[in-house]
Amino acid sequence: MDYLGSAIKVAASGLDAENARLRVVSENIANAQSTSKIPGGDPYQRKMVSFASELDRSSGTTEVKVDSIVRDTSNFELRYDPSHPAADESGFVKLPNVNLLVEMADMRDANRSYEANLQVLKQARDLISMTIDLMRAR
Amino acid sequence: MDAVNLFKLASTQAKWLSLRQTTVANNIANANSPNYRSVDVEPFEAAVSNESVRLAATNATHFGAKDGDFFQVVEEQSSKLTTSGKPVSMEDELVKSSEIRHAFELNTAIVSAFHQMVLMTAKGS
Amino acid sequence: MAMNLTIGAVSSIKSSGASQAAGAASTAGQATGMSFADALQNAASSTVGELRNAEQVSAQALQGKADIRDVTDAVMNAQQNLQAAIAIRDKIVTAFLEISRMQI
Repeated sequence: MDYLGSAIKVAASGLDAENARLRVVSENIANAQSTSKIPGGDPYQRKMVSFASELDRSSGTTEVKVDSIVRDTSNFELRYDPSHPAADESGFVKLPNVNLLVEMADMRDANRSYEANLQVLKQARDLISMTIDLMRAR
Repeated sequence: MDAVNLFKLASTQAKWLSLRQTTVANNIANANSPNYRSVDVEPFEAAVSNESVRLAATNATHFGAKDGDFFQVVEEQSSKLTTSGKPVSMEDELVKSSEIRHAFELNTAIVSAFHQMVLMTAKGS
Repeated sequence: MAMNLTIGAVSSIKSSGASQAAGAASTAGQATGMSFADALQNAASSTVGELRNAEQVSAQALQGKADIRDVTDAVMNAQQNLQAAIAIRDKIVTAFLEISRMQI
C-alpha cells in the first residue's frame, strides 16, 4: 500500500481546490465595481466555491474537489446616482454584493491552505526519497 | 523485546508513519470541506502491542498490508475550539508533520547504519 | 535475522580464526604479558556486546522510548568496534596465509 504516493495525490487535490478558490476570489475582487450596462439591471453577482470530500476506503485517502461554483444571493447594495447609466427610475444604482474586506480575508485563508498543502506534498516526496536512498551504496 | 528483528520493526514503523502522513494530508486538504472531521492514526505503541486491546472503535477504519499488520484510523475527538472554527487545526497538523519527518529520518538512519554493518561483515577482504 | 548474521560472523572470529592463528602466534610471542589469543577474544566479545546494545537501544528508539543521543552513541560505538574487529579478522587471515606459505 503506497501511503506516501496517496498523500501526494491528496495534497495535489488540495492544491487544485484552493487554486480554484483563489481564482474565484480574484474574479470577485476584479468585478467589485462592475455595474450593469442597462438601466435598473443587475450588477456582477458574487461567486463562491463549495468543496466536497471524496473518501476512498481502499487507499485511505480523502481527496477534496470543487463541488460547484455558487452565486451569492445576498442583496445588492443600492447607491443613489441618477446620472449613472445603470440608474433605475428612482435614480438608484445596484452595486455588486462584493465586500472587499471579506474577499481579502478569503484570499489570505486560501493562500495559507495552498501553502500547507504544498508543504505536505514536499514532505511526502522527501520521505519517498529517503526510503529510496536506503538502497544506494554509501 | 531484544529478540525482535530490528529491520522488521523499522519497516512496520515506516508504514505507520506513511499512513499518518496520509491522514495529515487528508486533514489539510479538507480543512475547508463541509462535514469533514479530522482523523489520526492510533499511536504506534498501541499498534505493536501484543495484547489485543484494540477494540473496534466507532468510526474507525482499518488500513493495512496483506501480511496482517493493520492500523486503525479514527476520527479525532477534539474538544478544544480551533481559532478558525474549522474542523481542522492547521497548527496541530503542522506539529504532526514535523513529528513524522523526524521519526522517519531517525528510522532511515538506524536502518542505514545497521544495513551498512551487515554489508561490512559480509564483505570479504 | 540479519543482525544475527553480523553477530555470528563476529563470533566466528573468536572460534575458528583465532584458534589457528593464535596457536601459531603464541608459540612465537610468549614473552608478552597478555597473549595474542586473549587480546583477540576480548576484541571480538566486546563487539558482540556493543552490537546487541546498539540493537536494543535502536529498537527502543523506534518506539519513542530512547534518547536520540543515546541511540547515536550506541550505534557509532558498535560501528567502531565492528570495523576494528573486521580489520583484525582480515589481518589474521592474511597473516595465517603468509605463515602457511613459509618454507619449512
